[in-house]
Amino acid sequence: MKKYQTILVLGLWGALALWAWFIPSKQISEAERRPLAQKPAFSDTFTTDFESYSLDQFPLRDSFRTLKSLFHTVVLGQRDNNGIYLTDGTAVKQEYPLNADSVNHAIGRFQKIYDKYLTESRCFYAIVPDKGYYLGEESEHLTMDYDTLYAQAAAGMPWAEEIDLRPVLSGADYYRTDTHWRQESLIPAAAALCEGLGVTPPKAEDFAMTPLERPFYGVYYGQAALPMEPDTLYLMANDLLARCTVYDYETEKTGSVYDLTKLGSRDLYDVYLSGAKALLTIENPGAKTDRELVIFRDSFGSSMAPLLVSDYAKVTLVDIRYVQPELLEQFLDFHGQDVLFLYSTLVLNSSAALK
Amino acid sequence: MIFSSIPFLYYFLPAVLAVYFLTPKRGKNAVLLLASLFFYGWGEPKLLWLMVVTIAVFYLCGLAIGRSETHKKAWLVFSIAVGVGLLGLFKYADFFISSVNAATGLSVPLLKLALPVGISFYTFQCLSYTVDVYRGTVPPQKNPISFGAYVALFPQLIAGPIVRYADVARELEDRTHSWENVGIGLRRFVIGLAKKVILADNLAMLTTLYRDSTEPSAIFAWMYAIAFTLNIYFDFSGYSDMAIGLGRIFGFHFLENFDYPFLSKSVTEFWRRWHISLGSWFRDYVYIPLGGNRVGKIKWVRNILIVWMLTGLWHGAAWNFVLWGLLFAALLLIEKAIPGLQQLPGILRHGYVLLAVILSFVLFNADTLAQAETDFAALFGCAGLPLFTRETGYYLRSYAPLLVIACVGATPLIKRAAQKLGGNRLVQSVEPLLWLGLLLVCTAYLVDGSFSPFLYFRF
Repeated sequence: MKKYQTILVLGLWGALALWAWFIPSKQISEAERRPLAQKPAFSDTFTTDFESYSLDQFPLRDSFRTLKSLFHTVVLGQRDNNGIYLTDGTAVKQEYPLNADSVNHAIGRFQKIYDKYLTESRCFYAIVPDKGYYLGEESEHLTMDYDTLYAQAAAGMPWAEEIDLRPVLSGADYYRTDTHWRQESLIPAAAALCEGLGVTPPKAEDFAMTPLERPFYGVYYGQAALPMEPDTLYLMANDLLARCTVYDYETEKTGSVYDLTKLGSRDLYDVYLSGAKALLTIENPGAKTDRELVIFRDSFGSSMAPLLVSDYAKVTLVDIRYVQPELLEQFLDFHGQDVLFLYSTLVLNSSAALK
Repeated sequence: MIFSSIPFLYYFLPAVLAVYFLTPKRGKNAVLLLASLFFYGWGEPKLLWLMVVTIAVFYLCGLAIGRSETHKKAWLVFSIAVGVGLLGLFKYADFFISSVNAATGLSVPLLKLALPVGISFYTFQCLSYTVDVYRGTVPPQKNPISFGAYVALFPQLIAGPIVRYADVARELEDRTHSWENVGIGLRRFVIGLAKKVILADNLAMLTTLYRDSTEPSAIFAWMYAIAFTLNIYFDFSGYSDMAIGLGRIFGFHFLENFDYPFLSKSVTEFWRRWHISLGSWFRDYVYIPLGGNRVGKIKWVRNILIVWMLTGLWHGAAWNFVLWGLLFAALLLIEKAIPGLQQLPGILRHGYVLLAVILSFVLFNADTLAQAETDFAALFGCAGLPLFTRETGYYLRSYAPLLVIACVGATPLIKRAAQKLGGNRLVQSVEPLLWLGLLLVCTAYLVDGSFSPFLYFRF
């Protein structure tokens, strides 16, 4: 290299270094949805803390992550980046392989709940396939052994009746940038659940679809760090849902099915039943019966539950990732309600968080 | 601290370069010494004392050997005892104890001492120094700062190449700093960084995927073996490139450590091209003092076995490393015993070397001998594995471009193409963009990735 070229390279390198030295620290990464490491104080772990700080606060971090993703997938031809791949503009997490121990752990937790509370109840379960179920094989990516997972659940939960959601969903029913399903696409799945539960299935014409103005950048948007269009999030609303109230046992506050205070939330999906909550009860004054439903669920249940409430006077949602099942009797009275275990393959395959 | 990290690339190195080039000539070695101790202490603050003690002992021994006519051998033996003793204590004591325990049924407790990073490299550099002073090849270094800068010089401190004092003695006292040196060094450093971050680290991911596989197959086992061989090559040669490049920026001319080893047509040639500084160190300080090949056949075989057992042990305190070294000893002896091998067609000899090297690195990378046995069984269809699985197909498709790029990168094709294009004005004018682009891509990988130490740190 000529002298001026060397000076040019060194100068740009040095400029980036100076930028790194003096850039003001950010508190959180919107794209990655996590707090960023801050300038460390001197301690025994200073060097490792500084390493984290220098990575998290590096100038143009998100752009560098996109550069890496593009180089990794386009130049090196890697079929996934950090376990996430794009197919037809949809980001999919490669859920592979099946973790049979994890599925058994989840089934074991459900069994304990059944033994303690549910022997008098009609129990059902539905497994929500992740979008890799629909998009993985056709895009020639690795997928977990779904058949074995479903068989494990059937063998491990003989006390519950299966409601199979696989035939009523498709890859298009999930957000492109997020792990979750789209509420506006869930009428067939909700109908399948209601038919299984023996209540009136919802119809699309019963709801008005309201799009949210703010674009929805799902969890895979940040993880994939690849150029993607954001999703639009819709709320399925009607008078019946408008009159429903939602009681949060944790905050002891009453709210509504769609929590519009979450419109500014880091995760827009939180508008559905306020996001991650241990224990909620939806009271439905317009219910056609006095029947009650208890849903043991993960986050997929948040957008589905509003579509199931029409016949039920009360729907209780329990997320045992955030509450010990042994403590439920302090809050709930189990007296033969309908019970639905609604869990995604994602949680079943990685169930350590289930208490 | 490692070269392929944000703290090194964007905090430590720019600061050191600025201070170094602003400091007058007579203070530059002091800057290098302080920077090197900081560099070492960043990752190993509790073992910094060991580095300082090693520098002090070998500095004093060098002086004593140079001044004393009557006790120079005693001082040499003392320095060797200290170097080998510290290396033995920190690196080999537990291996020795556990081997004795296994052989005798005793349960002598292990010392469980932390292995100081780079101890094998800087100890060997120090040993070569006192031996060379004893032999009269070089005069003793009187300036403790210059000697400390030599031993602790951060570009090659923790993963080589093993720089002999004789090779840099003159430059420690008087070296040239120029934009030309900086430009050449910068280019070499970025090439090494790209080898490490883009090639080696991604190849390492494939080896991890094989270890974590739930559907292993014989073909996946071969992909693993090839990927690890390329991984260790790009990891180590990348580090050597970075070390040589940094040295050049500071005005030093370190010797080459790799010379396209996969082009070799014999194992003998392979070891002339792979980790050249280690091979030549053992040749000059162990093999030749033992008599080399100018002894009877039995002693010559003994010399070969000793050198290669030590070469294996140098890489790690475990039996698989010993066997790895002895495997090469056996191959070298066979090559010497059957001169007709040299008459075979080049493609066959080349294939034999590649196969031997790939299989040797399977042994090298096994955590235990049982693991090595399992890996070899997988390679040769004796582990009951299918030939091919869905998972194998996926990773083959995903990693094929990287493997092809790595295979081409392990040959001189790119270098030759660059030399051909080097005279082109357009190429010359965009050259800085290439190095900047590579630097930015490496930075992108580091920003997105996690901590990834160099394979050769454990040595």
